[in-house]
Amino acid sequence: MPQQSWAATDLTFMPDRRIYLDHSATTPVDPRVAGAMVRCITDVFGNPSSVHGFGQQARAAVDRARREVAALVNARPNEIIFTSGGTEANNLAIRGVCQGSTGSGRHIVTSSIEHPSVRGVCAALEQQGWEVTRLPVYENGIVKIEDVREALRPDTVLVTVMLANNEIGTVQPIAEIGALVRERRADGQKHLFLHTDAVQAAGRMALNVEELGCDLLTMSAHKLYAPKGVGALYVRRGVRLMGQNVGGHQERERRAGTENVPGIVAFGEAAKIAREELAQRTTHDVELRDEFERKVTELIPDVVMNGDRERRLPHLSNISFRYIEGEGLLINLDLQGVAVSTGSACSSGTLEPSPVIRALGVDDEIARGSIRFSFGKENTDADIDYVIDALVQAVERLRALSPLNRPLAVS
Amino acid sequence: MSYSATFKDHLAHPRNAGELPEATAVCEQTNPVCGDRLRLSIVVHHERIEVARYLAYGCPPTLVCGSVLTELITGKTTTEAKQLTRADLLNAIGGLPSRKHHAAALAIEALNAVLG
Repeated sequence: MPQQSWAATDLTFMPDRRIYLDHSATTPVDPRVAGAMVRCITDVFGNPSSVHGFGQQARAAVDRARREVAALVNARPNEIIFTSGGTEANNLAIRGVCQGSTGSGRHIVTSSIEHPSVRGVCAALEQQGWEVTRLPVYENGIVKIEDVREALRPDTVLVTVMLANNEIGTVQPIAEIGALVRERRADGQKHLFLHTDAVQAAGRMALNVEELGCDLLTMSAHKLYAPKGVGALYVRRGVRLMGQNVGGHQERERRAGTENVPGIVAFGEAAKIAREELAQRTTHDVELRDEFERKVTELIPDVVMNGDRERRLPHLSNISFRYIEGEGLLINLDLQGVAVSTGSACSSGTLEPSPVIRALGVDDEIARGSIRFSFGKENTDADIDYVIDALVQAVERLRALSPLNRPLAVS
Repeated sequence: MSYSATFKDHLAHPRNAGELPEATAVCEQTNPVCGDRLRLSIVVHHERIEVARYLAYGCPPTLVCGSVLTELITGKTTTEAKQLTRADLLNAIGGLPSRKHHAAALAIEALNAVLG
């Protein structure tokens, strides 16, 4: 029998109130986005590749969405490839650039805090003989541009560094890395490209591929209030990219397969709303997050805020609670209806705690006790008050059980 | 598998948490792989465990195993307590997913250690 989360299946402990603070995992679908998607499902069933009117109607819907997604990052519509999500887009970007680089070199530069979908592809390529340099991050969770400069070699074909981290929200210096990559390219290293995984950043901060200087950029719809199953890769015109899904001419031969039209339409609508409402969403999220952090600091001793305090996403707070383990805290909060996530090992089903938190140079206890709170547009001030009460109680209860802050008396 | 109602009850309302100034034996065991810890303190009088307390650090199954174990052993003779197995503890909890069985193993190790 497959293992299930009891919280999702057993209603006997269902609390009266439920507060979702895990927007970095996924977001609830905006009703306007759901509306656009449902209208598409019911009214636009044609295959975009068909020449007849039904097909052309679907093609037009996909093209409209493509324009919106492109506008979110200031790209041209024909530079957007729709995929099944962020993981596929990251796979396509990294494998596509590397396989398209025949003869130019076999070296990749990446960071030590990438999402597993980037880490996994880099590790797989390493198995196939590619060399991978993993840049460190420091206590603040940010790579240093000097390290990037030092890591670049004449045979480097790809730099892939995330725009914002999914666990601690730190924003990486992509524009500086982009300038460096452009400089090298101008000096004759023609097949050197910069990819950035912007899954966490898209819809949370203003993105402009020209200012970032990146050649490829990954997005995922379900992180910006659209449904799961759709993502996009921006590929700057002129980048040689080897398609990974072959056997169809869709997406300019770079991603074969009939388009997920309703998902793409939903993504387009969500991108449009995200662009229009970015400023108000950011203000809202920052206010909630700052108030939350202020109260945590005031009411709970022995906490560690992980990652840079300034250069980070507006909606995310990663905090370690000393003497306790993250999953215990997560489940205690879940019993009170509050959904968060943790970098503890138990939670991920591995023996090692979060490699991202470990990369900050902290000890195991801090890594195991880390909790990610990620806020969203439906959260309110009253939610924060409720969560703080639940958190204070849960931390007290778990600390009362913990042997870590009590020396063992010799008996 | 899902966690049992007993599991959730012990997690939300831990029994016998703490330490005993008058303990006749105290022992702490650490799982060297994942770092989970369980400290057991007991008062034994005339071969019988009169009081048991625990402290735990680790994932929820480790916290719950400590709580359930102290309930199981309170009132038992040390000979009876020594006979408790990992399976007995798992039964009392209402089962654990197999990847969490290490929590019950740690609890039984701590029990054997504190009983000497």
